[in-house]
Amino acid sequence: MAPSHNHSHSDAAKMEQIITEFYTKSLHIILESRTPYVSSRNFSGEQIMSMSMSMSSPSSSSSSASASASASASAASSVRPRPRDKWFNLALRGYPGAMENLDLWHHSNPEPMVVDVVLVQRPLDWDPTPNFSPTREEIVIERWVLQYDHTRKVKDNHSSGSSRRSSNTTLHTLYKKSMLLLRSLYLTVRLLPAYKVFRDLNSSAQLRTFSLAYHVSSVIEPFPRSAEAEMQRFGFTPVETSVGRLCLSVLYRSSVLDLSSDPTPLTPQVIPDYVGSPLAEPLKRFPSLPVAGLGNHGSPSSLPFSRRHSWSFDLYRASSPSVSFSPSPTHSESNASISNPASRRFPPTSLPPHPPGTSIAHKNTTSFDEYCPSPTFSPSPSPSPPIYIPGTHLSKDLLRSESAPVNIPTTRLSNLPALSNKQYLPPSPPIKSTSSGTLRTDKFAGPIQTGAAVEQLFSLGKDDNRKYFGTKISSNDSPRISFSRSSSRSLQDDFDDPEFDCPFDVDDDDMTDPGSRPGSFDQKGHISQDAAVGDLVRMLKKAPPLCPEFSSSVNVPQASGSEIWSSSIQEPRPAAQDAVSASVTSSGLVRLKTTADALEELQGYREMKKLLLKQGSKSYT
Amino acid sequence: MNCEVCQLKELEVEHFEIREVLRCILHTIVFHRALGLVRPKDVDLELFDVTYVQCGDVELEKKIDEKIEHFISWVEKHPNKKSQICLSFYEVKNKQPYWFTNKIERLYWEQWYINLNVAQHLKAHSSKSHNSKVVVDPGEEERIARRAAVEASLREVLFQIIKFVNEKKDHVPPIPNGDGVVYFPHEITIPRKFLSSS
Repeated sequence: MAPSHNHSHSDAAKMEQIITEFYTKSLHIILESRTPYVSSRNFSGEQIMSMSMSMSSPSSSSSSASASASASASAASSVRPRPRDKWFNLALRGYPGAMENLDLWHHSNPEPMVVDVVLVQRPLDWDPTPNFSPTREEIVIERWVLQYDHTRKVKDNHSSGSSRRSSNTTLHTLYKKSMLLLRSLYLTVRLLPAYKVFRDLNSSAQLRTFSLAYHVSSVIEPFPRSAEAEMQRFGFTPVETSVGRLCLSVLYRSSVLDLSSDPTPLTPQVIPDYVGSPLAEPLKRFPSLPVAGLGNHGSPSSLPFSRRHSWSFDLYRASSPSVSFSPSPTHSESNASISNPASRRFPPTSLPPHPPGTSIAHKNTTSFDEYCPSPTFSPSPSPSPPIYIPGTHLSKDLLRSESAPVNIPTTRLSNLPALSNKQYLPPSPPIKSTSSGTLRTDKFAGPIQTGAAVEQLFSLGKDDNRKYFGTKISSNDSPRISFSRSSSRSLQDDFDDPEFDCPFDVDDDDMTDPGSRPGSFDQKGHISQDAAVGDLVRMLKKAPPLCPEFSSSVNVPQASGSEIWSSSIQEPRPAAQDAVSASVTSSGLVRLKTTADALEELQGYREMKKLLLKQGSKSYT
Repeated sequence: MNCEVCQLKELEVEHFEIREVLRCILHTIVFHRALGLVRPKDVDLELFDVTYVQCGDVELEKKIDEKIEHFISWVEKHPNKKSQICLSFYEVKNKQPYWFTNKIERLYWEQWYINLNVAQHLKAHSSKSHNSKVVVDPGEEERIARRAAVEASLREVLFQIIKFVNEKKDHVPPIPNGDGVVYFPHEITIPRKFLSSS
């Protein structure tokens, strides 16, 4: 055996190793529960992690080994525990990034390891670049200080063989006590207020205006007095070793939650008065189209952006403003113009690949069909696109535009088939009623291009659904897709949850700006299809009856699609109505559940559309 | 070795909270004493906004749950009483088997007493209206306040455990060798004085 002093050397080395590992481990524990996973948040990960460390003397080899592992920040939590992680019998997930470049504190390093956990308040218009932005506000919510005090020079090393045993015992004891301390640390980090912030950031998918960052340094920067006053201290009992004491303590802010409470997510906006919400006026189902004729005080801009998409739907429903394809709202023109674009626009098909729940989409389709004809038929009593808004030319236009490609009745009839497939048609009741005959297909399909037309469109007569209106409905090329999605969504929304969470809402940016709307229905500015569909559905659901006689039932915003259908179908158009109602009833209550259901409904609507077209053509001829 | 005893602060809990509270406390204590290799598992309580840590050992979890169930059934028989559950750690000393017994002696080196006061409040008329989110009736407010108080107390107890573990380390026996989550032998009991009372 080596002489005792060698043992003591090795013991000393082991002790040093234990202590060094202790630093690493404690840092790992702290950061693991304070740094949101990098992968889940773009902004909180890399740019926030900043380590400002003043390196002290080079660490031992063990430390470099420790630094090796983890890899990049993106490793997040899925790194297998490295062998190192089993130090102190606490197997932790590999912590990415932060442990790199960490110059481990050497046990002989008198400088403390100071870990500051910082709450970073990002301004709303945060800049995703990782550079420090002066507008960020950083508040230190926790400060962990780990220090090895060489307080005692113990008579170590030399001695007899018993010293070896005792040093073993010492090492064992040191290890055991370190383990206990680390266990306590592990629990403590989860009990402190900052953990809630961490958990909040990790769990919520919402973007937040705050995030957590950390700084590791070896210098204790004093807090401003005011800050210090708000902080509490918790000190762990030091672990005594033969050569010193390992001291760990934390200063933490107990009111961190106040600072970080920012439940409002960045991106989504709450729409308090979305169409159909209890907050909204019950009668204001329709977006209030600015259309003069409509008489609504629709202010398109008043609608929350997120709803714009929905407005588009409403617009569609409403009629006509040749929103869809041609800038001009007159339906005569639009008819012509619409037809072409319409055909372009609406790819005949079928429900967009989007969500299955396209029962609404089906409905939409049908309703659009109904609409389509309307523009053309406006003169005719029956079909009248004016369904949308009695007597409103705009509505006609809207109709037309909505139906877009196919809308235009006369010629449309031929086009109708094209449209018929459009799923978009939201289940607009009024359309139905008029549909008798007017169904010309146009399901205004989607691309209601917004803009002015839409706005006008909407006012739909009775209701000022301003809400609806705001949408800048942009023309979309594949409206059907959007429609179906939104339609299903909107129905579901109605059924399930008054909160507006239409998937189509998001594409605020897709919407054409209002400026482009009026009259310029070109395809620019293009609401996402989904949004458009959602809007349309919503619009349809909430639209007041186009004709006075329709008044009652059309506004059944929360009703299921089928209900809407049935209610809207009250109007007499006997044949059409029967057909419509038949198809409606046949489609049953909105199930919005499966694509299969949606497809069935679509079929139904197609039949209806055909029927109506026939009737329409008859009326023409 | 002396036996360190820790009397934890009394918690006033409702019947349905017992399970979660006990699980939290017991696992926290055991986590400190499971000095074998552990893969810690974070568990969020449902009733309270507290996260505690388990050792990740399924057997241990089962054992603790069994004891908790036992305790709960005991509490049901003796409602509205202060109750205690004791978690003891011992060392097994093989004494020389006497001719009339080969009892294995247990040398307790640590005992934790968890004090609970189980209140059986009358089920408050849960006047939950449909729009309960909007309206909070007075009963609800009380419940919320009470829940917050219990949560704060629970946190205090957890900190109490952490402090105790930190302050008293010397009495902990050397870590037994073994694989897996080696924790010291322990037992969970309901002290007799409570058992006998009715």
